[in-house]
Amino acid sequence: MIRVALLGAGLSAAAYGGLLLARRGWANLEATLTWLIGGVVIHDAVLAPVTLAVAWTALRLVRRERLAPWAVGVVLLAPLTLLAIPVLGRFGARSDNPTLLDRNYWAGWCGLVLVVVVGILVARLAERRQRSRVPVPEPVPVEGGAHGPRDGGR
Amino acid sequence: MRAPIPREDDFRSRLRSPAVAARIGLWLGICFGVAFLTGLISHYAQQPHQPLPFPTRPSWGYRVTQGLHVVAGTAAVPLLLVKLWTVFPKLFSRPPRRLAELLLHGAERVSIAVLVAAAIFQLSTGLANTAQWYPWSFHFRATHYAIGWVAIGALLVHVAVKLPLIRSALASDLDSDALDRPGTARAAGVLSRRGLLRTTWGAAGIATLATAGVSVPWLRQVSVLGVRSGAGPQDVPINKSAASAGVLATATSATYRLTVRAGGRSMSFSLSDLQAMRQTTASLPIACVEGWSAGATWTGVPVRDLLDRVGAPVGSDVTVTSLQRSGPFRVTTLPANFADDRRSLVAIELGGQPLSIDHGFPCRLIAPDRPGVLQTKWLKSLEVDA
Repeated sequence: MIRVALLGAGLSAAAYGGLLLARRGWANLEATLTWLIGGVVIHDAVLAPVTLAVAWTALRLVRRERLAPWAVGVVLLAPLTLLAIPVLGRFGARSDNPTLLDRNYWAGWCGLVLVVVVGILVARLAERRQRSRVPVPEPVPVEGGAHGPRDGGR
Repeated sequence: MRAPIPREDDFRSRLRSPAVAARIGLWLGICFGVAFLTGLISHYAQQPHQPLPFPTRPSWGYRVTQGLHVVAGTAAVPLLLVKLWTVFPKLFSRPPRRLAELLLHGAERVSIAVLVAAAIFQLSTGLANTAQWYPWSFHFRATHYAIGWVAIGALLVHVAVKLPLIRSALASDLDSDALDRPGTARAAGVLSRRGLLRTTWGAAGIATLATAGVSVPWLRQVSVLGVRSGAGPQDVPINKSAASAGVLATATSATYRLTVRAGGRSMSFSLSDLQAMRQTTASLPIACVEGWSAGATWTGVPVRDLLDRVGAPVGSDVTVTSLQRSGPFRVTTLPANFADDRRSLVAIELGGQPLSIDHGFPCRLIAPDRPGVLQTKWLKSLEVDA
């Protein structure tokens, strides 16, 4: 029952959106479709394959057990960098309005990268110290060892 | 020889599991819900004719809802990217053979395509808009609104289709293998599922902190990617400059007069006429549609006092016209409940100083709980039609 209601509400809302879009005329619709399709193409054909390629390369360059901090860094910084594109590029800056885009965004971005890198290093150090302090009671099986060398990194 | 296109079961990571996708999806859904509702509020507030008057209280209502709109959209960027990563193998799933199943499968894939396209569209155009970057030819406001309906509709359809899976994923342990695709690894990879979730929440948190200072004053120092630092003439940023509005000459002319008219009765006010009237001071935020806002103290004459001078009855909508030469907000409507609120001012001072030219000298409208684009600068006339 809930599912039918959700389906009905969803289809109606989407159809209403479509109607609003159609009312703006063909030129507006064409430009909108370009961006709608372009966004999916950029994600599925560029961002996703690049992510796969980076993971594939990383798995061959760095030992799996040492990759976690790198993965954390990528998850924290890659989306942040994408969403910073409009300010990093200052595309909307206007000479008559100095109150818009009035920071040094590259410096800010470098600062964020530094904070993330230092944060990861500190976390690694704390983790190592804790591990060396606590005596290991019994041998721990190597993670993923029984399942082949590369299951799960893709 | 392997086919160049991967198959669904080529992806074996334990992280690409419904257990992870449902948890990130829940928060992504919340972000889209918040952005949709706050977007509706902004759209309604800009309607010239409102069946239910938009409230004038609380005065910070528009500021908070629009700040939330941008925060929700910004936090959704990492959530969406990680969510799409966890379900990416689905892109390569094989269609079923039987016709009935094939049709259902096709319909679901179309709904997903619409959802992903609309979600990416809303986040990318919304973010570009906050930085006033318009690299497209469609009408931003109308199109962002229309696709907002498409996105929320496709999201509801997606939830309807996946509800049983979402329910069992959220009810079971994060590390349970029960709902995984066949072929998913049993052993942890580079990150544990908990590790990925925590990192994703961290990414959404950093994205928020790095940008939210445009509407949360105490975050200004932290928000190094904020579109505005909060600095500006008289400590308030501006959106449209006097130069770009083409009012540098008319606004500073010695013959400047504000015209106030109700039906056939009309009066003209020079700046010194306005200064001679009883002044009211109000602390009201200026909150832009693009999500930035700033609190400020304004001094001037209540709109109602000026309307009284020309005998405009209480409960009248007011047509507000700016000196600016063009633009969609040159002529706007101030609804009656705003016009009659004592805090709605024809302001001549900001922070105890005369308005700077970019803030609307000689006088501007400032009203509580109102979109920034409707806080008309460089006032030319206030008119009530009999």
